Amino acid sequence: MSDLPVRDEYGFYEIRLESIGGLGANLAGKILAEAGILNLGFNGSSFSSYGSEKRGSPVKAFIRFCDSDCEVRINSPVTEPHLIAVFQENLKQILPVLMGMNDKTRVVVNTARTAPAARDFLEMPGGTLYCVDALKISREEKVKLNTTILGAVCRASGFLAKEALEQAISDTLGKKYAWLVPANLKAFNRGFEEVEILEVPDDGKYPFQPFRESPPRWGYGNAPIGGTITEIASTLRNDLSASREGLLPFFIRDNCTDCTLCESTCPDYCYVWREVEKDGRKTMVNTGINYQYCKGCLRCVDICPSQAIEARNESEVDTKKLSRVSIW
Amino acid sequence: MTEVITENKQVTVVKSGNEMAAVAAKQINYHVMGFYPITPSTQIAETVDEMKANGEHDIKMIPGDGEHGAAGICYGAATGGGRVFNATSANGLLYSLEQLPVQSGTRFPMVLNVVTRSFSGPLDIKGDHSDLMTTLNMGWIILLAKDPQRGYDMNIIAVKIGEQEKVRLPVIVSSDGFFTSHQKRRVQYFENKETVQGFIGPFKAGNHALDAAHPVTIGPYMNEPDLINNKKQLSLAMAAAYEALPGIFEEYGKLSGRKYSMVETFELEDAEAALFILNSSFDTAKEAVIRLRKEGKKVGLLAANVLRPWPYHELISACKNLRALCVADRQDSFSGQGGNMTLELKATLQDDPQNRTRVFSRIYGLGGKDFYVGDAVALLNEALEVAVSGRVKNRYDYLGASSGDLNYQAESMLEPIPQAKSGLPENFNLVKDETTGITKVKGVNLRELTGMPKRVVSGHRACPGCGIFPNLNLFLKGISGNVVVLFQTGCAMVVTTGFPLTSFRVTYIHNLFQNGAATLSGLVEMFQEKKRRGEIPVDDDFTFIMVTGDGGQDIGMGPTIGTALRNHKMIILEYDNGGYMNTGYQMSFTTPFAAKTTTSHIGPAQHGKNFFHKDTAQIIAATNIPYVCTVAECNPLDYVKKAAKAQKYSSERGLVYVKAISACPLNWGDNPRLERRVIQAGVDCCFFPLYEVEEGITNITYDPEKLKKKTPVGDWLKMMGRTRHLIEPEYAQELEMFQDEVDRRWERLKARHEHSLL
Ligand SMILES: Cc1ncc(C[n+]2csc(CCOP(=O)(O)OP(=O)(O)O)c2C)c(N)n1
Ligand code: SF4
Ligand code: SF4
Ligand code: SF4
Repeated sequence: MSDLPVRDEYGFYEIRLESIGGLGANLAGKILAEAGILNLGFNGSSFSSYGSEKRGSPVKAFIRFCDSDCEVRINSPVTEPHLIAVFQENLKQILPVLMGMNDKTRVVVNTARTAPAARDFLEMPGGTLYCVDALKISREEKVKLNTTILGAVCRASGFLAKEALEQAISDTLGKKYAWLVPANLKAFNRGFEEVEILEVPDDGKYPFQPFRESPPRWGYGNAPIGGTITEIASTLRNDLSASREGLLPFFIRDNCTDCTLCESTCPDYCYVWREVEKDGRKTMVNTGINYQYCKGCLRCVDICPSQAIEARNESEVDTKKLSRVSIW
Repeated sequence: MTEVITENKQVTVVKSGNEMAAVAAKQINYHVMGFYPITPSTQIAETVDEMKANGEHDIKMIPGDGEHGAAGICYGAATGGGRVFNATSANGLLYSLEQLPVQSGTRFPMVLNVVTRSFSGPLDIKGDHSDLMTTLNMGWIILLAKDPQRGYDMNIIAVKIGEQEKVRLPVIVSSDGFFTSHQKRRVQYFENKETVQGFIGPFKAGNHALDAAHPVTIGPYMNEPDLINNKKQLSLAMAAAYEALPGIFEEYGKLSGRKYSMVETFELEDAEAALFILNSSFDTAKEAVIRLRKEGKKVGLLAANVLRPWPYHELISACKNLRALCVADRQDSFSGQGGNMTLELKATLQDDPQNRTRVFSRIYGLGGKDFYVGDAVALLNEALEVAVSGRVKNRYDYLGASSGDLNYQAESMLEPIPQAKSGLPENFNLVKDETTGITKVKGVNLRELTGMPKRVVSGHRACPGCGIFPNLNLFLKGISGNVVVLFQTGCAMVVTTGFPLTSFRVTYIHNLFQNGAATLSGLVEMFQEKKRRGEIPVDDDFTFIMVTGDGGQDIGMGPTIGTALRNHKMIILEYDNGGYMNTGYQMSFTTPFAAKTTTSHIGPAQHGKNFFHKDTAQIIAATNIPYVCTVAECNPLDYVKKAAKAQKYSSERGLVYVKAISACPLNWGDNPRLERRVIQAGVDCCFFPLYEVEEGITNITYDPEKLKKKTPVGDWLKMMGRTRHLIEPEYAQELEMFQDEVDRRWERLKARHEHSLL
């Protein structure tokens, strides 16, 4: 029988998964809860930060474990997790994914970086870091990312028995997707094995960020009544690059014939066109992609008749340098 | 652990409140479930449907055309003398509200799960009790389920209490949206459905509509002096329910080891100050009590497990020794000095001459705002202060509302679109060919149109590859000048306008899921009238465009037909992705035949959606509006031309209806990268033919048959996860039926194209 390594004042060991919709964090939470409750004999709960569940939008999943005879009473989100798993590292750029952690917290991150580089990328103040290249592993095993990350979470937890999670994975997939079980178990085991662990020194390089609900900019004192929004076109402030799942389009101007097909297919209006003078006539030309809004769907890659758009790995493209500024 | 009688063995699982409600429904084996999807209650119908596909029960599942329809289906089924089930939330509940007093007033028991959610507007999908509290006066029994375990237990108890001979009332089981409905917990249920069936007993019908030997009149016209007596009967039935419930709780407790009571308390015995708080927050607040008790503070908790019948005596006795009570309401009865629980508790305690409890109200957790232990500590401390001072300083207030950053200066990312720049489509040349009756559009240059300012901008939260935005882009390229858009509820509105941000550079309105056409009719007529009165300059002009999903045109078909018959000068653009995508892909009436969705699962006992896709364009064409057309992103030029015609007809003649096929990679189960090919295939197989009906004359604008590109529907269906199974041998019959139906519609369309009188 396993025992919880630590408990908070309410008796819980708490896990927070930081992800984007579509990567299976919610299912990972369910698998964790089932492993802990049904197979290891803890009591507990699992739930997610639901909004409108679109692929690519930030989502959190929460898992709580306590002793079997302890009542689960708290229904609010996990704010001071013992373990955090970051499914998509670029989330760091738009959200405080490590908020509420302390020097005992274990952090799992899906990254192709080395552990020290990942530490700096995440600006992790202390604790223990577990790096796993889940994207690579899950692509190789042709499975969703979540089971690979579960492997690393299992390793990082130090108390969730591997067999219990393997059982829960098989049970969850087993009924309807039996043929997916072996590959997922392999991915899970690779996730468990192929982690790089780093004890992050509490060297003051980055500050710990205590949990805090950020107060809204608009409230009852200043918001236009009725919920009306007067700041038009304001979603232009959003950075959607964290929605990409590894691949992005790369534009090759020399091959482009300005046929406008990419413009007609891009759901995120990323192609930037400019007016130029050509042979004494004014015409529009395609100047490339605004990567701030590109979600990496690759519709444009498939549609381009002139090989002017290629799919590349995110890590191979300097999006900061190549990104175009939209003209509205 | 409680002792469990062995023949009534229970199994332990990890499940959510919604899942447990579905498990209970399956074991009860209702005759009929009428339903309509709405977050966060949808999962109940989804789970019951999945079980149906697996052959686990015999419940007849009927998707309504909206909640009003779903409630009607339930009422009709209940008059037939059988067990009936439904689940809804928020606006779904409000849309079906008028059916509730009919159900109770004519005394047909059924069970409705209200998974709580804030009602619009502005639209919020998270849980508060604004919806639930509208049901207090509907004559229904209301049981609360604060956790997933009770989601199961209360659903079983509900059947038993509602069907008692002296009661015969419909029952609501209410759990907190997301907090309970979606949270997975360790729960138990009876291994054998016979245990459940034994507890509820066989259904005993009263007077009903399916007894040929005893015809009855159900729902007569009844004025004074009789109605008051009908309500008195209802009130007596509610009193009977009050008498019966403790016994039923007792009996269920013996069976399950879980005994419930009318009210729930925690450390209340010797408490001086307490918090009254319903459902999931009650548990969170327990931790606050434990913390304060450790500090020696005498605090406790109180809640009702049953709202109707109101646990009047239990509440009076629970508050006997209390000096102060904070009532936390998750809704407000604006200016009534509290939410409904505050008002009812104050009224109740007033009746006890000995009672000295000071009651005050706090409105909390609206729109699903999280409730933390710290919040409960703050409320309990406030109650303690009142207990000590004997004075309520702040009778009624909001907990957790924020004034905002008062120094923030609003800043738009862009200026409104300058008139001069929105004018590219003004160069189009539209000429009607009088012999064919078809207008030709010339001068559309797609490259030039890339320079046109966009009315909808980037940064929205749609899934990668979503088809809605290429559709909006292409359509708006054909429209010049000022535009006002109105979106019905659905993915397009949700991903563009998450407060405080908006993707619109033009004026945008959202009303309700189903009421856009009526709403925009009103706006169009206000514009015309203000213009007529000289309150708007004569040369001001707008193109009014309503944008809706196909689901919005299921529930909103009525208002749309009304708008068409009145022929207002506006455009309706329907993006048809063949499902209720915003709520997680339930079937809509346009979903392809035999497709799998979350409410039309495939399995041994069910083969996906069991009726053909709705032909919306033809339904609308039958209203004889000036212009109807279908469009697809795979034919961009055709698309922009039709948009230009749409604008012309809407400004000169009246209503225009445009129907676009719209990709949904998330739920179609295909690769977003290939979406354009999938759309092309949908058009080429004639599932979605491209044509227009211009002043009654049908014109096919892209004929795959003539171009020798027409393909079998299977070629399209196999491209998507939702329909791929149709090419399996076991679905051969469905595939053939599907092909026949598509061909039949296509042949008829061709005939219309050929004959201007058809
Ligand atoms: C009266 C009412 N019933 C149900 C809902 C829940 N609801 C919101 S959007 C939606 C589905 C929308 O489907 P559709 O119009 O096809 O648009 P899509 O989500 O596919 O973009 C549903 C069922 C609601 N908001 N109001
Ligand atoms: S589709 Fe290709 S060729 Fe056409 S405009 Fe885009 S990049 Fe250029
Ligand atoms: S991948 Fe291409 S089509 Fe998709 S969002 Fe990025 S630029 Fe647009
Ligand atoms: S669920 Fe479908 S329709 Fe909705 S945003 Fe995602 S892709 Fe678009």
